[in-house]
Amino acid sequence: MTGSTKPSFQLGRRRFLQGVGLAGAAGLVGMPFGRAFAAEPEKPKEIIVRAWGGSWVDSLKAGVSDPFTKLTGIAVRHDLTEDNEIQPKLWAAAAQKRVPPIHVNWDTTTNATKSALRGVTEDLSDLPNLKTVSDAAKPVGVDGYPIVNTYGYVYVLAYRPEAFPDGAPKSWNVLLDPKFKGRVAVYNDGIGLHFPAEIAGGGKLEDIPANMQPAWDFFTKLKANEPLMGEDPDFTTWFQKGEIDVACTISSNAREAKKNGIAIAWTVPDEGATYETDGLWVPKYLPENELYWAKQYVNFALTLDAQQVWLDGLGLPGVVPGLKPPADLVGDASYPTKDEDYKKLLRVSSKVQVEHESEWFGKFKEIMQG
Amino acid sequence: MRPSRTSYPLSWRLMDALEAVAAAVWPRSFSAAVPWLMLLPAVVLVGLLVLGLWDMADGSFRTLDTATFLPSDDYSLTNYHRAFTEKLFFTVASRSLIGSLIVTAVTLIFAFPYSYVMVRTRSAALRKFLLIALFLPFFIGQVVRAYGWLIILGSQGMVNEALGLVGVAPIRLLYNYPAVLFGLVQYMLPFAVLMLAPALTAIPEEMEAAAGSLGANWVRTFIHVVLPLAKPGFIGAGLVVMTLSLTDFAIPAILGGGSQDFIANAIYDQFFRTSDQGMGATLALLLVAVGSIMVGVVFALFGAGTLAMGRSK
Repeated sequence: MTGSTKPSFQLGRRRFLQGVGLAGAAGLVGMPFGRAFAAEPEKPKEIIVRAWGGSWVDSLKAGVSDPFTKLTGIAVRHDLTEDNEIQPKLWAAAAQKRVPPIHVNWDTTTNATKSALRGVTEDLSDLPNLKTVSDAAKPVGVDGYPIVNTYGYVYVLAYRPEAFPDGAPKSWNVLLDPKFKGRVAVYNDGIGLHFPAEIAGGGKLEDIPANMQPAWDFFTKLKANEPLMGEDPDFTTWFQKGEIDVACTISSNAREAKKNGIAIAWTVPDEGATYETDGLWVPKYLPENELYWAKQYVNFALTLDAQQVWLDGLGLPGVVPGLKPPADLVGDASYPTKDEDYKKLLRVSSKVQVEHESEWFGKFKEIMQG
Repeated sequence: MRPSRTSYPLSWRLMDALEAVAAAVWPRSFSAAVPWLMLLPAVVLVGLLVLGLWDMADGSFRTLDTATFLPSDDYSLTNYHRAFTEKLFFTVASRSLIGSLIVTAVTLIFAFPYSYVMVRTRSAALRKFLLIALFLPFFIGQVVRAYGWLIILGSQGMVNEALGLVGVAPIRLLYNYPAVLFGLVQYMLPFAVLMLAPALTAIPEEMEAAAGSLGANWVRTFIHVVLPLAKPGFIGAGLVVMTLSLTDFAIPAILGGGSQDFIANAIYDQFFRTSDQGMGATLALLLVAVGSIMVGVVFALFGAGTLAMGRSK
């Protein structure tokens, strides 16, 4: 993703203050934001935000970090440690009441929910901009706002158009088609596929988590079709090198691959597709002034202008009303905007997911490693 | 007349001063402790490792509470029960064990002739070439080498392109167990050669010449002279290759296509994917135990080879 493809971002200090703090000044929120402009805490030289690399961090930088720096003078450093790998470090820091290694964690809601349940997240309920965001920003199954969901994303069925001359595949069962034996790919932890597999395997979304047998049956058949299993960069490489014809992947990755000239298209099959959210959270035990500015960063990420640029880069629907979809995603099922769009997507609460993640992961691995 | 000390060169006087300081700091009577002092860094390092293992041992007896994502306060054998009863862990562990044995055998077979030629060749140019070829892979990390194989063996890789020239359709050479073993052998070969070469160097060429002069052909010389005398090298190389293969992470992850995990991959998953540090600690400790037992068995049966630095047992 290059910066030149994104809309320019012009934001004055006045508008920034409207976004992050004037609500407080107007008495809409309590401390500490209400006092922010009377006695602003000392600014740190920089804050550290954990992010995913590639187009993900480029988009965050363009939409949130750079404008935040421009308006506050606080540099933003992006830590590209994997989300799964920063988690134990943050948990260990909190357990020892140490200052955490980052100020803001950009995380999957499922992962972040684990951290919230463990009690290592700061409460963000007092962010002024939470008053203007949609319900999607509120995490489910936890009290308050230990995380703020910032956008949603869809695990689509991505495919090589040349391999599907009759048009997009209609069902996730295409992953089981012997015609594509050895040429299908899924995430190596099965993420994104459990819910479609449940339905394609003959079950219902309501059966989750009580009866996952249809999903396990689906995965057993999938195993026989010799899938490749990897992570986001692997899928891009595999499509590029002609190793695979079809995969379950996040829409933004497929879109990025397409922008980079790889022949790829995507669809939401008839069974639906998994809809998940990512969010931002602030770890406990930051010095008070750094905590304040870390929260300001999260608050700023919930402004319309920040979300428009950030999420245009990712091609994902945000949580601030009034966002416009990127031109290439208007009407795309992977970019839901209306209620009927969301009805085609499969959603299971983060609480259920974190409670059963280990069990589902183990079962998926047992089938796939067998 | 004896010359005044001031007439000595400055460097002498400086050395005298340094010796006086050294004697004050470390009197001669302490000299017996010098070897122990030199061991201190290693003892500290191993001590830290033991501390870490102790901490992991404590964690391995605690189960994860998915309501709070905290380890349990009480101890139990639940994680060990899971490790021994769940099919996934058995599959991954047996794959790692069998893989490490196969890789060790194949690597030693390939490493021996390489080492032998490198040690015995009369050509300085050939020896230099073999040494460069041996050390070059050390400058290229394991991950980069694994990705190199993706380029060479991929569906659109060099091998398949070559096959295409003679009309053979692309075949899947990657993302299976043989690909992982192949990658491991390629990675381990330099280690094995490095361990074998000193053992072969220590075999006097005259021994082989004597065997020949007594009528042994090269096969009998090889079997009855070279191989037995090279045993310490085989043991040392075998131990290094076996333990490194057993614990490898990157090659199975990259060349296995996600379906050929070794035990290290399973440990990573427990620590970093499911956040179950207790289960990860359990698997890690079992891996240490299995590796140690394998090494212990080899030590007991064959001695420590070149790792014993000259002592047979």
